[in-house]
Amino acid sequence: MQTTNASTDPHGQRDIIVCKNLEKHYSRGGETVRVLESINLTLQRGAFVALMGPSGSGKTTLLNLFAGIDRPTAGVLHVDGQDLTQLSRAQLAQWRATSVGYVFQLYHLVPVLTAYENVELPLYLHDISRAERHARVSEALESVGIADRHGHYPRQLSGGQEQRVAIARAIVTRPALLLADEPTGDLDRVAAASIMQLLSRLHRERGQTIVMVTHDSSTATHAQRLVHLDKGQLVEDVAVRA
Amino acid sequence: MRRRPTRSALVLAGVAVAVFLFCTVDTMRSAVERATQKSAGETALIVYRQNRFCPFTSQLPQSYENAIGKIPGVASVTPVKIVVSNCRASLDVVTFRGVPPQEFAATHSGSASAQDMQSWLSRGDSALIGRELAQRRRLKAGDRFTAAGVDAFVAGIIESDLPQDQSSAFVHLAFLQEQAKRGGTGGVVTQFDVRVKDPAQMDAVAQAIDERFAKDQSPTTTRAETAHVARAATDVIVLVGFAQALGIAALVAVFALVANAIVLSMRSREKEISVLQTLGFRGVHLATLVLLEALMLGGVGGLIGASASYAVVALARTAMTMEGVSIAIAPSLVIAFIGVAIAIALSVLAGIVPAIIAARQTIVAGFRS
Repeated sequence: MQTTNASTDPHGQRDIIVCKNLEKHYSRGGETVRVLESINLTLQRGAFVALMGPSGSGKTTLLNLFAGIDRPTAGVLHVDGQDLTQLSRAQLAQWRATSVGYVFQLYHLVPVLTAYENVELPLYLHDISRAERHARVSEALESVGIADRHGHYPRQLSGGQEQRVAIARAIVTRPALLLADEPTGDLDRVAAASIMQLLSRLHRERGQTIVMVTHDSSTATHAQRLVHLDKGQLVEDVAVRA
Repeated sequence: MRRRPTRSALVLAGVAVAVFLFCTVDTMRSAVERATQKSAGETALIVYRQNRFCPFTSQLPQSYENAIGKIPGVASVTPVKIVVSNCRASLDVVTFRGVPPQEFAATHSGSASAQDMQSWLSRGDSALIGRELAQRRRLKAGDRFTAAGVDAFVAGIIESDLPQDQSSAFVHLAFLQEQAKRGGTGGVVTQFDVRVKDPAQMDAVAQAIDERFAKDQSPTTTRAETAHVARAATDVIVLVGFAQALGIAALVAVFALVANAIVLSMRSREKEISVLQTLGFRGVHLATLVLLEALMLGGVGGLIGASASYAVVALARTAMTMEGVSIAIAPSLVIAFIGVAIAIALSVLAGIVPAIIAARQTIVAGFRS
């Protein structure tokens, strides 16, 4: 894989995401749908960013491009020092395994695996010993406060607990970037608040870079920076706190 | 398999039944092939009455024994009287073979224990019975049994690799002739078992025997023992051939069953595949997972089916007998292994296309499904 020089901001913080004139188009019924148009955005390492906007504004598509699970139609996209447009399918998969953790709105845990096994799953792609694997899984489960449920299957957990396991699965590989697509979208108010506190703590204590998609303004208050999209275009980019 | 236990159990059952059918049919085919295919070292000839196809109608004067013995190339001649409990093809027929006691004892000295052989020689109504027959009828030395109107005392069990011996009861020739006298066949035998000195002389000796009695009142037809069995088992061979087609059809069913199960499984897991891809699993990992699942279905189902077939054949201990000729059906580990191997191979084959589809699936499309 070819590594590019990531830019550095005036405070010496390395940029983790750099996109220039980023475009994403789909062809549907012979018609081109422009999901993202000329997105120019730079996110710093250690930031907690919320991508906001109404349904269909392109925020999940942008998150998917950051995660390397979708490819841009045009433009430049560097994530964690890697030009994602230049990677093959296999290289992209390998890059995802090491650089990105992804939290889904609907958790997407493997139903026939326990919480422990779900968290352990991505580590099988890493060349580490069984003992190291065990240590990392235990640490991840501990850090999301679900260690006592490690032997439970997803069907035996509440929505909030499932999302905690999903977050543990996302951070167990110690990725540079944690992406979350509406992480509280399927949870009640109390569970949602608990998950946001967890993400805030991970950001605060570990310096974890987090990019989160949400359309809920109260959820977005946990972020340092709000990026608003509308009809595929970046319409507002504000820093709400340091 | 844990995800949809009922569906998995049904697929496993289907694979197991298909492999059971294949293995059982192939065991029968193998038994017929073993009994009817001529081997290079074969030295056994059967002299039968010309144009007769049943032990009840094949009647040859016992006096032919001396004439056959004088033909060049003949090593030994044994007159045999055969009485069967059923002339038609059946799985439980008792074949009595009346043989001259001293000659038989000389040629089969290693086939039974000295004690059993001595017991058989000393008692006129005694029988040495083949291992298959003993197991089928649960007979042991000292028992009495009756079949085809013949009541005999079991002197012992005879061990032999020859299918004909395994399902037969060897009795004294005079005893069997006496027992069969009601039909007016005393002094008459059913066939002569002839051994030739040189396997290469089989055809020449057979021809010489038939020419010797061609003008006699009881002309003969002499064939290699395997050819004799093949002629008697013609109907069974046709049936086994047909059954073999069914066995192959069963294997096709394995392919269809597993392919269907895997395709259904993949369709219901498109999102999960996308999740795994998001975590960093590559196409080769996903394809391997699909193939392993197919392998598990075929392997476990095949193992159950092959094991069941082996157990059933071993416990049943049957022999296909027609016109006094027996073909023992023995369990075979080789066939069981082949059954499992074919089930695995077909299952993996059935999983290839779903594996390729899983490997090529795009993440976003999987989440949209």
